[in-house]
Amino acid sequence: MKLSELKPKEKGKIVKLTITGSLKRRLMDMGIVPGEIVYVEKVAPLGDPIDIVIKNYHLSLRKSEAENIEVEEVK
Amino acid sequence: MEINIKGLEEALGINVVPTVATKGEGVKELLFTVKKIAGNKEGYKPKILNYGEKIEKALENLEELIKKENMELVAKYPSRWLCLKLLEGDELILKETGLINNSEFLEKLEKIREPLIKTYDEDIESILADIRYGLAHGIVKEMVKKKEKVTSDFTERVDKIVLNRILGIPIFLAIMWLVFKLAFDFGGPFCDWIDGFIGFIGKWVSVGLDNIGAAEWFKFLIVDGIIGGVGAVLVFVPLIGIFMLAITFLEGSGYLARAAFVMDRIMHSFGLHGKSFIPLIIGFGCNVPSIYGTRVLETDRDRKLTALLCPCMSCSARLPVYVLFAGLFFAQYGGTVIWSLYILGIIVAVILGIILSKTIYKGMKPIFVMELPPYRMPTLKYLSIYTWEKLKHFLIKAGTFILAASILVWVLLNIPYGAPKDKTLLAGIGKAISPVFSPLGFGKWEAVSALVTGIVAKEVVVTTMAEIYSAKKEKEVEEKTSFGQDLKEQIIGLSSAFKEAVKNMFSLKSGIFEAEEEEGGWKANIRKAFTPLSVYSYLVFVLLYWPCMVFAFALRAEFGWKLLGQTFLIYTLLPWIMSFLVYNIGKLLEIG
Repeated sequence: MKLSELKPKEKGKIVKLTITGSLKRRLMDMGIVPGEIVYVEKVAPLGDPIDIVIKNYHLSLRKSEAENIEVEEVK
Repeated sequence: MEINIKGLEEALGINVVPTVATKGEGVKELLFTVKKIAGNKEGYKPKILNYGEKIEKALENLEELIKKENMELVAKYPSRWLCLKLLEGDELILKETGLINNSEFLEKLEKIREPLIKTYDEDIESILADIRYGLAHGIVKEMVKKKEKVTSDFTERVDKIVLNRILGIPIFLAIMWLVFKLAFDFGGPFCDWIDGFIGFIGKWVSVGLDNIGAAEWFKFLIVDGIIGGVGAVLVFVPLIGIFMLAITFLEGSGYLARAAFVMDRIMHSFGLHGKSFIPLIIGFGCNVPSIYGTRVLETDRDRKLTALLCPCMSCSARLPVYVLFAGLFFAQYGGTVIWSLYILGIIVAVILGIILSKTIYKGMKPIFVMELPPYRMPTLKYLSIYTWEKLKHFLIKAGTFILAASILVWVLLNIPYGAPKDKTLLAGIGKAISPVFSPLGFGKWEAVSALVTGIVAKEVVVTTMAEIYSAKKEKEVEEKTSFGQDLKEQIIGLSSAFKEAVKNMFSLKSGIFEAEEEEGGWKANIRKAFTPLSVYSYLVFVLLYWPCMVFAFALRAEFGWKLLGQTFLIYTLLPWIMSFLVYNIGKLLEIG
């Protein structure tokens, strides 16, 4: 499933980034690499962007960007 | 958090110096190490990252190919780096080296790249990035010991309120209101004082020039043109200073990222970044600090696009023009008319944003991904360095142009010297270009000349109108005072400006949008010259054409001539088209 499909308070493990180019580089720079665990903290008041926790820090990204991140749900 | 410095040095093969940026710890050691290594380049041997057998073989082949092809390149670039970039297919490097035109080389390069792409089933850039990041994460895992939770409880607790579904947006708007209050109600009295102080200097320079018997035109050029021009720059200093201090504080404290998080949904819908909201809303006060405010944005695309939309935000200098005409022509509906102009500006900005992000700025992909850092108190040093840097930039880079333009405008208004109002260069220009404005309903030289001087600053439209439409010239009566007494009054003025600023901060009533009432027989003359419809068309034009000279030169200083050219084009055509539509649709509907 995609990271954008996780709901607040749900956890996922990153499987793959399905894009290339500058956005991929930026995501990897921010620590979004396969194998990492992400936790969706909350959604912005108007429904987009989302606030996730990765490597113990908060990162915000748009849902359209989170669509490019393949995850598997972790209970 | 604990970092194994020794281990990190061994893993990377370079010296590692730990520092704490906010406290300045370790900076001396860092400089010392840099100096030591710069003096001993042979001893500097960082570890080379091994990309694995297949890629290393490809790199070897590529290196040989380049050596055969072009020895100059090998001398110019670090060869391993160049090979990696070519293997990635980096277009910038292909262009820079001129290899993009060498079809034979490109063919051979593809032969090396293709098998790799096939085996890994991914583009080479991603393969290399994966390897690099893999290594980096491995090193971090080994050398860094983290406690379970890094973000503090304080940050979590504040975010629960500040990013709350219901409270998030109201809190953001309240903070912006406070920033405005600080800039206008606290900074305002200081702007007024600077204005008065420039008048004081002008007055005594003029007395001095009289005493040495300087020609009258020369005296006016110095006092009105040059000293007035310097004043036009300096008056902005408190405003820009306070706005920048506030933005730097919001950025340094960590709140700015939250503001972007809260507002992004709205801004994204017309092609902007969440952070764009801040420079744009500042534009309602003044468009000039907006330009410096765009520095909160990370990409060039977002910064330019935001700067291009700023002029649509109706700044406080346009209000006196609205107030004058709305009062004269729309009586009790004046408030509604003024309100409609503000809304029109926002609508135009939204449409323009959508159009620009789908045309000129289409190619550049916006990226939002951004850290929400833990809250911390910005240091005084950080605040003062960043604020001062922007002020200095404004004073030097924009100030010189503004001064030159002020002198030019003075010349337009006063040449030939001593000529009546309808014979000056300005009137000449007004008469020459007024036919262009006939389809908009105000093709009279008086109205057009006021627009021309309005380029200096929008509120000048009102003063020019007053001068042109008044029947006879009113003589200014000057009181006789001594220099010492005058200087004393200036100093007292500064201290009372300070008192007023403090008092304003504790009063709920805001003076941001107060306009001064001016009286005179010229108002009756304006009533005869316009109809309500042509007045509305004129106000739409005032809303949308060129914010002011100071904006133009600040924009040039920050983004260069090209963006200034684009802005000039947009904000010359746009107001004409909008006013044309307003006037002609109004005529069809038989309004006015």
